[in-house]
Amino acid sequence: MRKTFLLSVVALMILSVLLSACGSASTDEESVQEPATADQVTLKVLVHQNPPMVEFMESFNNNFSEKYPNITIDMAVVNANDLSTVTQTRLTANDVDLVDIFGFANAAQPYMKNVDPPNWQTLIEAGYLLDISDQPFINNYDEATIQDAGSYNGKVYSINLGRVSYSGIYYNKDMFTENNVTVPTTWDELVAACETFSAAGIPCMTAGGKDGWPIFVGAYGLIGALYPDQDVLVEGLWTGTIKWNDAKSLEMWEKMKVYAQDMMEAGASGIAGDAAPGRFASGAVAMFPGGTWYASAIEASEPSFEWGYIPFPGSDNPDDNKYLFGKYDQGWAVADKSTNKEAALLYLTEFSEPANYQAFANAVGFIPTQPTATLDTQIGQEVAPYLVNFRVGFEQYWVAPKGAGQYANPFASYFKPFGTFDDPQELADKVQADLQSGLDANN
Amino acid sequence: MIKYHFGRGRAKWVPYLLLLPGIFIYLLIAMGPSLATSVYSFTNATGIKGAPIDWIGLDNYREFLFMGQASRDNYAALGRTLIFCFFVTTIQFTLGLIVALLVNQKLKGTNFFRTLFFMPVILGAVIQGLIWSLFLYPLGGPVARILEFFGTSSEFFGGQPTEAFAWVIAVQIWANLGTTMIIFISGLQTIPSEMYEAARIDGASGWQVFRNVTWPLLTPSVNTNLLLNIIGSLQAWQLFLVLLGYRNGTQVLGYLIYATGFGQTSGSVTSSFRQGYAAAASIVLFLLVLILGLAAQTILQRREERILG
Repeated sequence: MRKTFLLSVVALMILSVLLSACGSASTDEESVQEPATADQVTLKVLVHQNPPMVEFMESFNNNFSEKYPNITIDMAVVNANDLSTVTQTRLTANDVDLVDIFGFANAAQPYMKNVDPPNWQTLIEAGYLLDISDQPFINNYDEATIQDAGSYNGKVYSINLGRVSYSGIYYNKDMFTENNVTVPTTWDELVAACETFSAAGIPCMTAGGKDGWPIFVGAYGLIGALYPDQDVLVEGLWTGTIKWNDAKSLEMWEKMKVYAQDMMEAGASGIAGDAAPGRFASGAVAMFPGGTWYASAIEASEPSFEWGYIPFPGSDNPDDNKYLFGKYDQGWAVADKSTNKEAALLYLTEFSEPANYQAFANAVGFIPTQPTATLDTQIGQEVAPYLVNFRVGFEQYWVAPKGAGQYANPFASYFKPFGTFDDPQELADKVQADLQSGLDANN
Repeated sequence: MIKYHFGRGRAKWVPYLLLLPGIFIYLLIAMGPSLATSVYSFTNATGIKGAPIDWIGLDNYREFLFMGQASRDNYAALGRTLIFCFFVTTIQFTLGLIVALLVNQKLKGTNFFRTLFFMPVILGAVIQGLIWSLFLYPLGGPVARILEFFGTSSEFFGGQPTEAFAWVIAVQIWANLGTTMIIFISGLQTIPSEMYEAARIDGASGWQVFRNVTWPLLTPSVNTNLLLNIIGSLQAWQLFLVLLGYRNGTQVLGYLIYATGFGQTSGSVTSSFRQGYAAAASIVLFLLVLILGLAAQTILQRREERILG
């Protein structure tokens, strides 16, 4: 009996040791980040997956570490869909020094009732992002960018590294020449071009339909042709002066149906977003509606491929088609609780040097946010004539009211074969009803 | 009278002391988050440590259940969850039983087939999703080519919501069939061979043997499998994320919870993390699982008592 008791006590002691070992491990994890020493610093950087950007950052990091041998860069790359989750987790765990802020968009507007603040705003209010207002490197960026995509309550928290346009169409130059098709500048010309290609057995357009968003993002030009001031559009929708089923909007839905059903190739709904540029570059289709960020992937797939980029001609009036709509893309922010702030700010200072920034813009294909940077890439040359008409698009202004249905968006992907709708009027009524339901619920 | 085997005096407390660490870990890891979720469901928590959290009472529940078209969409997701549960449970259960009966024969190669059918279980949802995305790639994937040969085609996961949903059901069954099969095999192997011999001597046909010997004696495995299938399919969400993403007409409740909790809903680039709201939705799902789970367990337990005594 005594022996049993002793054995049990020993077993308990072993368990206690094991448990306390687990306990001490978690304590270690909580204090992952050791205070920086003057000698050696490991700077933890978080970026989202964008192959040309990641490639550039790896090269930049090597150069940076060579120049500052006491700073080692530990860069983590995550899928864009997971970026906000990982950013939040690592900021709260104090396990990151520099974060890639993606979608630092406009805050909720006064006319928007009962909406939650965007995630970046919550991060600032919770004290996770460092105020960098007094850093000299922010003067390297244009003032509008700092104001529109980096400031909150009069303080600067992020430097935005570039704008992207998403309302354009890539086209295959050789295919256009071979089929005697001129580059369309109006909706009718675009429809005619697609008919010509279809008659020749060439699918007109492709997009990464499996991911959903490439289909509707590709058609944002159709919204822009009708509603060039998209902040006004968003306010109109919220206040009821614009309806998704009024006569003007119905024209948009009718065109979206043609885009989804007649212009897109069969099977596009199964193509992954990152496979679509390669499919276009392979010469399988004549056009590819999409953002400027695809340019480097197209070039990487087929370096000798001849392509051009035009604003989506959503209207029959060429003057309505002169706009490029887009958004501010990636930005840098420093973790306020970082123990390596000095190194992080040094990193941003170095990154913001005009020569380094120019190399970044060249590699990634962003429309630069430093006024001294030039558009040296092909996509840069393609969009240069339209930059004077660059406008921030719908998705950076829009915040859906709580209670709105799942169709309360201007998405071409609601049409068959990507969605379930076939009749533009029916869809327009459904979209407006879903939106109205949310607006009414908050009044 | 039951004889106590753990000694007398202080020694009789030892088993309880030994249980304490386990109970503590269970409370910490299983009950802790569950209780926290129920508390969070009454707040506007974002999940960001340090961000203010306000007590908003039943607002999240009101929004989830009664606010505008979104609440009707939630009911639709609830309906899809039940449909998913019904098809996954019935097909996976039936197939699992058939496969278990086949690979439980004393034939050559049964071990190979057991391994083959069980293999998907050890793969993660991402790998499972990737395999099937490639397999069902509509532009030249292997299945698309076979369909093409027969003069037909499919958009698979990119097709109409009902079609895409059906494919997810198929992948879910493929991914979990191995577990159902293994539980059935373990049940089959507990049935004494004398029972089969006696039945055959009595001249019972194959079907009669199955109906009167195998099926009743498999009752514990049947119950375990049914419960696991029901609960597992009600909670499913990973394959929806990997194979379909946020797509109207396909969301089940589990995926909706993830999407709202982690800002993955479409419609706004500024989607916030609505973890208080997602917690309320989780409680609704929990209640659904609880009600269906308890009902199933009660029915199955009664059946077991009736058959096995």
